[in-house]
Amino acid sequence: MAIQLKDVHFAYPETPDNDILHIANWSLSTGEQVFVHGPSGGGKSTLLNLLSGMLTATSGEVNVLGERLETMGARQRDRFRANHIGYIFQQFNLIPYIDAIDNIQLAHQFANKNPQPVLIDEIKSLLSTFHIPQADWHNPVAKLSIGQQQRIAIARALINRPQLLIADEPTSSLDQKNRDNFMSTLMSLVSEHGISLLFVSHDMSLASYFDRIDALSEINAAGEGS
Amino acid sequence: MFARLASKSLLNRKGSVVLTVMAMTVSIFVLLGVEHIRAQSKQSFNSTVSGVDLIVGARTGSLNLLLYSVFRLGSPTNNIDWETYQQISTKAKVAWSIPISLGDSHKGFRVMGTTTDYFKYFSYGKKRHLEFSSGQPFAELFDVVLGAQVATKLGYSLGDKVILAHGLGTTSFKLHDKSPFNVVGILAATGTPIDQTVHVSLQGIEAIHLDWQAIKTQAGTLTSAQLQALELEPKNITALMLGLSSRMATFGVQRDINNYRKEPLSAILPGVALSELWQMMGLLENTLRLISGLILISALLGLSAMMLASIKEREQEIHLLRVIGAPPFYLFLLIELEALLISFISMFAGTATLYLCLLATQDALSTNFGLHIGLNILSFNNILFLLLVAGATMVAAAIPSMTAYRGINRGQ
Repeated sequence: MAIQLKDVHFAYPETPDNDILHIANWSLSTGEQVFVHGPSGGGKSTLLNLLSGMLTATSGEVNVLGERLETMGARQRDRFRANHIGYIFQQFNLIPYIDAIDNIQLAHQFANKNPQPVLIDEIKSLLSTFHIPQADWHNPVAKLSIGQQQRIAIARALINRPQLLIADEPTSSLDQKNRDNFMSTLMSLVSEHGISLLFVSHDMSLASYFDRIDALSEINAAGEGS
Repeated sequence: MFARLASKSLLNRKGSVVLTVMAMTVSIFVLLGVEHIRAQSKQSFNSTVSGVDLIVGARTGSLNLLLYSVFRLGSPTNNIDWETYQQISTKAKVAWSIPISLGDSHKGFRVMGTTTDYFKYFSYGKKRHLEFSSGQPFAELFDVVLGAQVATKLGYSLGDKVILAHGLGTTSFKLHDKSPFNVVGILAATGTPIDQTVHVSLQGIEAIHLDWQAIKTQAGTLTSAQLQALELEPKNITALMLGLSSRMATFGVQRDINNYRKEPLSAILPGVALSELWQMMGLLENTLRLISGLILISALLGLSAMMLASIKEREQEIHLLRVIGAPPFYLFLLIELEALLISFISMFAGTATLYLCLLATQDALSTNFGLHIGLNILSFNNILFLLLVAGATMVAAAIPSMTAYRGINRGQ
């Protein structure tokens, strides 16, 4: 299993009686791609933060890639996230004032992966794969188009060869053409590398790219909040 | 990568960073400048006189005696009889003596009557003897030797005529204009009150006053030739400096002079009096240090406020770094490093600006104020101050760093 959640409760310490999230049982198989949709405030961000180890559950089991996140220390969770999980956001995927190579290299810095010389070659290869012109590799990413930035974000998310990719509304800021390009690139890459994909969005038109579609309201018994 | 991220982050916020760097540069400039000038002044102050074992004057406090005999400030309470001087200077334990006679001036500069022994025995700094930049000691009755600053400021050179004035005012109506003095020597700069002194022989002082008294009493005037022909001997002097044959004899001679029966005298050890005088300036010294310290604190608070505001602006960036695996301590160190980079740039800019300012004003300070300020800014104290600034920067940056750290640990 890529993800296995059992009787997970989450409430912020300030409001311990107000559960933001209550998931009785939910899982994602290894290599599976799932589309989770739900309105804003449905506990989506909380769920993603729990799965990436940014937050820890108040109670219950959060099993990601065979590891119980709630039993790990904070430093272990940070290292686990860097090594095994790729993340793509709607916006602010990259540090705007550094270039594409540095952004990708930075993600690698926190993981125990390839040595430096191999890494630079791999980054360049990834950028070429995502059709980022060589002239833009050393420009601050803020100067690149949104479409280019999202493609670099995928490259950044893939540099540590993650087994799980979490995408949080990654297409919201893209136009139709860029959105289609982004989705086809993403889906072909995750299929090619056997990466498990948790794709969260409120845009139901993207559901056609997925075999499995889950509604957050059905997963989260707490229903409202966040 | 860590340092590159910190430096590029600062470049990305260059507007606020430049302002912070400017504020810190000014404060470091003031801090180092005050400390450097204080240290240099102290060194210059302490080197005003050396090799003189005792200074003797009419009974007065040690500071007053030091001020008028060495710094040419204030006035003596009384004169010393010439006979007394002769008795003291011929004591067995006295190796040499320099009589000095004060009371006249030239365009605001003090005139000092003395003997040629002054040029032979008086020393300053690390026992450096007086040197002539041009000319030689006075030999004739109306010869004068100028301090370096007197010559520079008044534009005198060898052979020029100098008219002395009675009293100490900058503008005097009682000029000894019947007896102009001939510039025969100009001393090299010493960075001490010597640079601002006009030196003439004791006989010269006697001569102009004899001439002046004669005019005042309508007894007629004396020509230069007549005055030269007289064997003038001073009736009294203002003070005298003594060099002893043995340091061991200092306290014994001092006691003898202080107990001298014919007239009340004070003998002081110049080194002890100098440190007493500097201690009196300790309050001013500490006030200057306090002011520069407060300026630095305000600049550091500005830095802290700027960094804190940047944390609010950079919430998304911090979140992104956390998502890609950056531990909270990494972000804590990143913000500390950014603050230290600002601090290091400011230290460099502050030190360089101070160096350039001193380089540009060194000659003017020496000529106009007699302040010899060296260019070696990086003294032990100043290096210590810079390390202190770096430490204080880390403390000031700890507030925004901890804010980020705590925010992260709460799972922002």
